[in-house]
Amino acid sequence: MSIAPKGNAVCEDLLRVEEVTKIYDGTIKAVDNVSLTVASGEIFALLGGSGCGKSTLLRMIAGFEAPTQGKIFLAGEDITHLPPYQRPINMMFQSYALFPHLTVWDNIAFGLRRDHLPKEQIVARVESMLSLVQLSQYANRKPHQLSGGQQQRVALARSLAKRPKLLLLDEPLGALDKKLRETTQLELVNIIEEVGVTCVLVTHDQEEAMTMASRIAVMSEGHFLQLGSPDDIYEMPNSRQVADFIGNINIFDGIVEEVESDHVIVRSADCSHYVGYGMSGNSGRAVGVALRPEKILLSKEKPAGKYNWCDGEVTEIVYFGAYTTYHLKLNSGKLIKVQTLNNARDLSGNFSLGDRAFAQWSDLAMAVLTQ
Amino acid sequence: MERSSDGRVDAVKGQVMHKISNALRNFSAGRHLLIGVPYLWFLLLALVPLLIVLKISLSEMEVTSVSSMISWRQGWPTLKLNFSSYLFISSDALYVQTYLSSLKYALLTTLICLAIGYPFSYFMARSAKHLQPTLLMLIMLPFWTSFLLRIYAWKMLLVNNGVINNVLMSIGMIDAPLEMMNTPFSLMVGMVYSYLPFMILPLYANLSKLDLRYLEAAADLGANPFKTFWLITVPLSKAGIIAGAMLVFIPALGEYVIPELLGGPNTLMIGRVLWDEFFSNNDWPMASAVAVLMVLLIMLPMAIYNKYQSEQSGLNS
Amino acid sequence: MNSNMIKWCSRSWMFAVYFFLYMPIVTLVIYSFNDSQLVTVWSYASMRWYAVLMQDSDLIAAVVLSLKIASFSAIISVFFGILTAFALNRYKRFFGRMLLSSMASAPLVMPDVIVGLSLLLMLVSMQHWLGYPERGLLTILLGHALLGTAYATVVVTSRLREMDGQLDEAAMDLGCHPWQVFSLVTLPLLLPALVSAFLLTFTLSFDDVVLSSFLSGPGYSTLPMVIFSRARLGLNPSINAVATVTIAIVTIAVIASSFYSAQQERRRKREQAQAYSDANT
Ligand SMILES: Nc1ncnc2c1ncn2[C@@H]1O[C@H](COP(=O)(O)OP(=O)(O)O)[C@@H](O)[C@H]1O
Ligand SMILES: [Mg+2]
Repeated sequence: MSIAPKGNAVCEDLLRVEEVTKIYDGTIKAVDNVSLTVASGEIFALLGGSGCGKSTLLRMIAGFEAPTQGKIFLAGEDITHLPPYQRPINMMFQSYALFPHLTVWDNIAFGLRRDHLPKEQIVARVESMLSLVQLSQYANRKPHQLSGGQQQRVALARSLAKRPKLLLLDEPLGALDKKLRETTQLELVNIIEEVGVTCVLVTHDQEEAMTMASRIAVMSEGHFLQLGSPDDIYEMPNSRQVADFIGNINIFDGIVEEVESDHVIVRSADCSHYVGYGMSGNSGRAVGVALRPEKILLSKEKPAGKYNWCDGEVTEIVYFGAYTTYHLKLNSGKLIKVQTLNNARDLSGNFSLGDRAFAQWSDLAMAVLTQ
Repeated sequence: MERSSDGRVDAVKGQVMHKISNALRNFSAGRHLLIGVPYLWFLLLALVPLLIVLKISLSEMEVTSVSSMISWRQGWPTLKLNFSSYLFISSDALYVQTYLSSLKYALLTTLICLAIGYPFSYFMARSAKHLQPTLLMLIMLPFWTSFLLRIYAWKMLLVNNGVINNVLMSIGMIDAPLEMMNTPFSLMVGMVYSYLPFMILPLYANLSKLDLRYLEAAADLGANPFKTFWLITVPLSKAGIIAGAMLVFIPALGEYVIPELLGGPNTLMIGRVLWDEFFSNNDWPMASAVAVLMVLLIMLPMAIYNKYQSEQSGLNS
Repeated sequence: MNSNMIKWCSRSWMFAVYFFLYMPIVTLVIYSFNDSQLVTVWSYASMRWYAVLMQDSDLIAAVVLSLKIASFSAIISVFFGILTAFALNRYKRFFGRMLLSSMASAPLVMPDVIVGLSLLLMLVSMQHWLGYPERGLLTILLGHALLGTAYATVVVTSRLREMDGQLDEAAMDLGCHPWQVFSLVTLPLLLPALVSAFLLTFTLSFDDVVLSSFLSGPGYSTLPMVIFSRARLGLNPSINAVATVTIAIVTIAVIASSFYSAQQERRRKREQAQAYSDANT
């Protein structure tokens, strides 16, 4: 999965969160000393499992919760103690929170009316929002007369209508079914890019974060585990937690045998790993070597060379259509997963249960996890 | 031109409102007001009156103000408590009997309502889906008509020369009128009639949500319909049974109008005794003491119910 | 036991219960058209007692008083019911929250005789200290409003509970000040609940006899008080006529409103289905 950076032309920092902590009821530390900056035009994702504090962080940016400690700046201005109705920030809620007693049109106009804009301007703005989300013919419907996907678009239009400096999305696709999610993801990104608004989104779905965001912060227990571009986080996880959270991965436990400026050699129970880039630290250190299943090549012949291969017995074959996952039991008893693309129509070259197989990979396929 | 002046007015208005809202936020006066006003309302009309009842129940007949109950002894206020009303009630067999018979009638009402209402709610929950709203509305409809008039209607039916006796005599089933009015029978008819909907509504709400798959599973495992009913349906509807029983038992215990209109001289109930002490005998301390004991009697099932509910919510969370 | 027999049993059981519930009401209505002075001895059909009703000034005065008290009491009850429900729903912890919620539910579980007695004794003490209020319309109103507030609180609370909590935040997010959140979003959404709370508390007040008897003063008799005092003495044809009139009004109102809401519900469902099929084509 390789993705070009998304978002619009990036310039200065729009949002700055400085060492923010939120403690509920004096005991529950929901957000723990988090700092981040979001550049103008960026789409930034907060990714993490349920209860990790991502919604709390978003709600502090929106103004629904006050930080226990720390400050929040928007375009250089301290907004930490500004009430939500005075922040040039709008949010799209997980449940959409469309006003059930108002039509689509009035829902979108709701925020504009609070600003006492002249009537023609409100009309023009609402009409342009409706055409942006392609709901012009539904303007007079009430929310309950719309399908889930349409409701989501109304919610988006409503939060964009006031032209906020910052758009917040709380699990924007959480209420949609799986099939609708994939098309909606792209639609959502297109609209956001068209408008050019800076965006912070919260999600527990790593694929959603990967496809939508230009930068991702992986959260756990109130703090950031890693912050980087989607491919950084996928290819170079900095810890076991991140590696585990993002997609499928095999982790070999090993000891560093050799550290050079251009390579590292790690010895694990089943093989020697030659990692094609350097790292800090000394030999003798215990590390994990992370290896994605799709980066492994399976063969029947023993590979040449002494590094980056191992052998084992095929114990399980799971066919997914586009690809097949093999479970390989290594000599030490460790299980690894190998994914092969089914790009040939003839499957005769494939393995069957109980076969011996050799797994090999390149020296840039691995990431060394020091924690 | 006009718009711009409008806009300015709006802007000024907005600013003023904004200032007010900030003030409200800062002093959280909104919060204090929102909590304080209903608090005061209920304090004055619900709590204070009960405390006054408690106070008067502990005073003698002539003494009915707070000041006269507090005597000053060596500079310290001392409360004069007088338990004579309570002593009288507990020593008088008639009062004890009244409490017991109130309990008996309330319990009997609850059981009969359950016996009639449970099968009814069960059948209603199993009837065709499109009929259920109408069936439910027909149960609720009498709620909206005067309770008093419905009790009066029973009086019309049950008296010696009433409708039932007239009909039975005219078709020759009886020779002399049946003595139904002013008996425990007429009392129970009126009570069950008035409280049956209170039993049916929570039972129906519960039974209509019952997952039919449990019953299918039980049948699949070889239980016959009666076993399924006893072992699955009844235990699962326990919450509905308890809620219904509370909604019937508690108001039945303190009922005044039904025993007054349909009961006889020997169907004793506390509500009536309280009324008579107050209106006929003008004995305020005695009426208050009766009321206090009645509250205690009601608190017991309430406490049990609350305990059950908190256990249930504990189980669910 | 076959399924037909079960069906037959259940049908007849349900029929018997409905018969038990409606037979007295129907009898009451039928006998209101009985010309005889003896209520239960049928002579011939006439509207005699309705004509008598028109002349009965006590009864008419009582109806007027009851209507007045019921309307005011319903308004006051809904007002305090909103406040109480909001206080309990919005603020999860404040000093004495438990006390407020038990005070608000006390009138629901206390027998009417106790509520009546305690309020009366409180009002008597108040009069003793302040010389105010005289027993009459105002004191009855207070009693009914107390009872009504307790019921209105239950109705409003249950509506508030099922409302999406994010709606308030969405309104604030779009620029609403706290009071605008209330007037533009919360209040319109609460409206149906407020209407049913109003109808419920109105009916409660219009039906009450025990509280009114404790709290009224000389010259103030509500309709139920008049009916009760006549019913205590025996059967009275005027009661049948009054009953028939009120039952007719209530029945028409309830049936009309339930038809209306059933229709609304059907329309809503149809529109929803339409929306989904639109979205999928
Ligand atoms: N209003 C609140 N009061 C107390 N604890 C809360 C509140 N909101 C959230 N929490 C707690 O804070 C933690 C983080 O919650 P949240 O930010 O909602 O997580 P996420 O959105 O990542 O699932 C959780 O442990 C949650 O229980
Ligand atoms: Mg969340």
